[in-house]
Amino acid sequence: MIEAKNINFRYEEGLILRNISLKIKDGSFTAIIGANGSGKTTLAKHFNAILAPYSGSIYVDGIDTKKNELNARKNVGFVFQNFEDQLVYSTVEEDIGFGLENMGFCQDDIKYAANQILNKLNIANLAKRNVNMLSLGQKQLAALAGVLAMKPKYIIFDEPTTMLDAKNKKSIMEIIKELNKKEKIGIILVTNVLDDLKYADNVIVLKNGEVIFDGKKMNLSKKMLKQAGLYD
Amino acid sequence: MINRLTFGQFIGKNSFIHSLDARLKLICVIFLSILIFLVHDIKKIIIFSIFTLIIMLASKIDFKSLIKNLRPFYFTSIFILIMYLLFSRSELGMGILAVWRFLMLVLISLAFTFTTRISDIISAIENLAGPLKFFGIKPRNIATMISIAIRFVPSMFIAMEKTREAMISRLADFKKIGHIKLFMVVMLEKMIKSASNLSDAMQSRLYNENTENKRVMKLKANDYLSIAAVAILIMAIY
Repeated sequence: MIEAKNINFRYEEGLILRNISLKIKDGSFTAIIGANGSGKTTLAKHFNAILAPYSGSIYVDGIDTKKNELNARKNVGFVFQNFEDQLVYSTVEEDIGFGLENMGFCQDDIKYAANQILNKLNIANLAKRNVNMLSLGQKQLAALAGVLAMKPKYIIFDEPTTMLDAKNKKSIMEIIKELNKKEKIGIILVTNVLDDLKYADNVIVLKNGEVIFDGKKMNLSKKMLKQAGLYD
Repeated sequence: MINRLTFGQFIGKNSFIHSLDARLKLICVIFLSILIFLVHDIKKIIIFSIFTLIIMLASKIDFKSLIKNLRPFYFTSIFILIMYLLFSRSELGMGILAVWRFLMLVLISLAFTFTTRISDIISAIENLAGPLKFFGIKPRNIATMISIAIRFVPSMFIAMEKTREAMISRLADFKKIGHIKLFMVVMLEKMIKSASNLSDAMQSRLYNENTENKRVMKLKANDYLSIAAVAILIMAIY
């Protein structure tokens, strides 16, 4: 379980997250939705220990992200909005190994894991391709492969459909849904697209750095979405 | 645009140069780059040029795209030669030699980046710079910085192209210093943003400067053959 306890976070320009407390259960599909600048990505970066709260604490399976960021991070993968910048190495196969290398895996195990993931995502044909030569959809799958190889318990997708066309959008959302249903990976979907909520079980609505709704999707009202600036 | 995406980037091919140990390739690039400046007479220039040509052939580099991609270097070379012709005609030979050295340096570096994966470059630098640990410098950081710079060169070209087009579409004039300055500022901002995104992405995938590199690097028959070839070249040139 990921648990936030009274977290506050500030940049120089002011408070970005205000007194946020929430729980994300194992294997759940949670959407964090809010208008631009509401603090969604900032909150998600806390779950992966990229950011540490100014006050309060985040626990990933009981591990305090402030005290043991690497162990907390191992459990939470992150597919960034700018997935083009997420690919570190030159070929897809090589890039999948980046996280595993950092986890201390040997080359044989990395190759084996990379092959497994490439086949699972049906992108074995991209293995030797230079990441600069991929289409946006392929780059996103490559970024996801790099995260999946690390076998995280939760994966955060930060606005995964923003840069994609309709076909790729549908296909990536289907993959995300399948990861949740079949592999029981907890999904945290950061979005500002109302349509994406159809995939989620739980929804967290943010407005100006505050949680204004946290609960089951069926309990979410139009009024709440209107309040968050997501609905006319 | 596609040519710019692959320029100086690793392309997976089954070639002799691809099969070589990254450490050896890196040392050879350094040696050959120094050697170029020790070459003065025509006979040695021909020997070195043939050696470089063999490297290019053994790398299976696509010559058509190489010739296209080297276009910016042709302009620089022509500029250097024109300067010699205008201001120092008696030393034109020196000018030609300078252009030749420049071209050889570019070709040798390209052969390296074209045939070596980023992760292998990191391991090679980390391995060779190992002694720096004793001075408190972390070789993994240096290796990662250099390698990532190579990886992101094409992305930078694309960002430059997009920014230039966006500015031109709003009537920017690149003959004006103010617009050039603005272009530089925008590019700098984009690069900083990109570097920040990359840093977050690397952190999220557990990048840690203290991680021990577990790659086993061993020299093979092809590596020894290459050492012998470079040794013969050095002897021929001295």
